[in-house]
Amino acid sequence: MSKLLRRALKISLVPAILMIVGKFLGIFATSILYNLQFNIDNDISGIFSVQIYFTDQDTTLFVNSISNLTMVLFLLLPIVYFIIKTLLYAAAHNNPKTIIKMTKLNLLNWIIKKDTSFLKTFIWCAFLWLATAITITHSIQGNTYTWVAVTTGVIALLVTLFTIKTFELETDKIYPIEKKYF
Amino acid sequence: MPSKLNSPQFKRVTGQILEPFALGLLALLFIIPTLTVFNLSPITKTLEKLDVLGVSSKEEIAFTLVGGKHEIIRSEYLAKNEDGDYTYSTTLNKRASDTYSKPIVEIKNNTELQQTIVLYGQTKTPTRSNISVIINDHPYKLQSDSNATYPQEITMDPNTTIIMFLNVENLAGVQFSEEFEMHLKVKDTL
Repeated sequence: MSKLLRRALKISLVPAILMIVGKFLGIFATSILYNLQFNIDNDISGIFSVQIYFTDQDTTLFVNSISNLTMVLFLLLPIVYFIIKTLLYAAAHNNPKTIIKMTKLNLLNWIIKKDTSFLKTFIWCAFLWLATAITITHSIQGNTYTWVAVTTGVIALLVTLFTIKTFELETDKIYPIEKKYF
Repeated sequence: MPSKLNSPQFKRVTGQILEPFALGLLALLFIIPTLTVFNLSPITKTLEKLDVLGVSSKEEIAFTLVGGKHEIIRSEYLAKNEDGDYTYSTTLNKRASDTYSKPIVEIKNNTELQQTIVLYGQTKTPTRSNISVIINDHPYKLQSDSNATYPQEITMDPNTTIIMFLNVENLAGVQFSEEFEMHLKVKDTL
C-alpha cells in the first residue's frame, strides 16, 4: 500500500468525524439555545432509521441553516489554520522580517516545523467542498436560507484559491522560480 | 531467523492486495459523512392524527379504545364509521386452550338519559372460540364455539362510564391468528 494512500486515510478521519459532529452540534445547540422542541422518529424509508424532525417548517429551515453553517465552520477553522501556517512558513523562509514578527507574537513554533502538507490542506478542502455542496443542495430544496448557501459558496471558493496557493508553494520547492536565483 | 511475515516480498504482496480496499475505505470516508449529514438533517413532519378513539368528551356517547399490550389480543383499532357507529377490530394470535381477557373499550354516557348500546361481533374464520364481552363482571356472549353469533344490548345509566373486556375462550389450541370484528351502535331513543 502506498504511503500517500495511508496518509490520506489517516488525514481523512478527523474531517469526516468533524463534519458529522458539526452538523449534530449545530442541530442540538440551536434547539437548546432557542428552546426548540425537536422529535426523533423511526423512518425505515431512508438509509438511517433515525430521523430528527420539527413540527413547523420555519423552525426546520432555521435549524438546518444554522447546523449547515456550523458544519462548514467546523471544517473551515482548521483549514484556515493550515493555510496561514503554510503561508507564514513560506514567508519566513523568504523574508526575515516575518521571523521577527512571529517572535514578537510568540508564534515561532508555527514556522520552525513544517507539519502541514499540501495533502492535508487538500483533503480538508475536499471535505469543505462536500459540506458546501450539501448546504447548496439544501438551499435548492428550500431547507436552508439562500444567504447561508451563498456565504458557504464564497468561503469554499476563497479556501480553494488559498489551497491552490499552498500547492504552488509546494511545487516551488521542487521547481524553484528561476528569477529568484538569476 | 527472519520470518516470512517480515520479508519484503510478503509486505509488497500484502500491500498490493490491500491497496484496492484502502481506496474503497478512503472513498467511504467521504461518502459516509455526506450520507449521514443528508439523511439526518431535520425535516418537517406534522404529528399524525390518531384515527381513533378519542372521540371528544363533548360527544353524547364517547367510545375510547383502552389500548395496551396483550400477548393474544393484539393490533386493536377502533374506528368511527360514516353512519356514526363504531367498529372495533383486533387480531387474536395463535394460542393454547385457555381463557384470555383484556379491557378493550371505555364507553362514557355523557347524556342525562339512559342509553342502550347494541353490539355484535365475530371472528372472520371459525376456530371454535367462545367470545364474549364482560361488563361489570357480567358476560355478554357474542360468538359460540359453533360460530353462532349473538347480538347484545347494554343499558347505560346517565353520566356513567363502563369498561368493556373482551373474553376469548378456547377448549382446544388455535394454531393460526384470526381477525375479530365487533360493531358498536347507540340504539336510537324514541
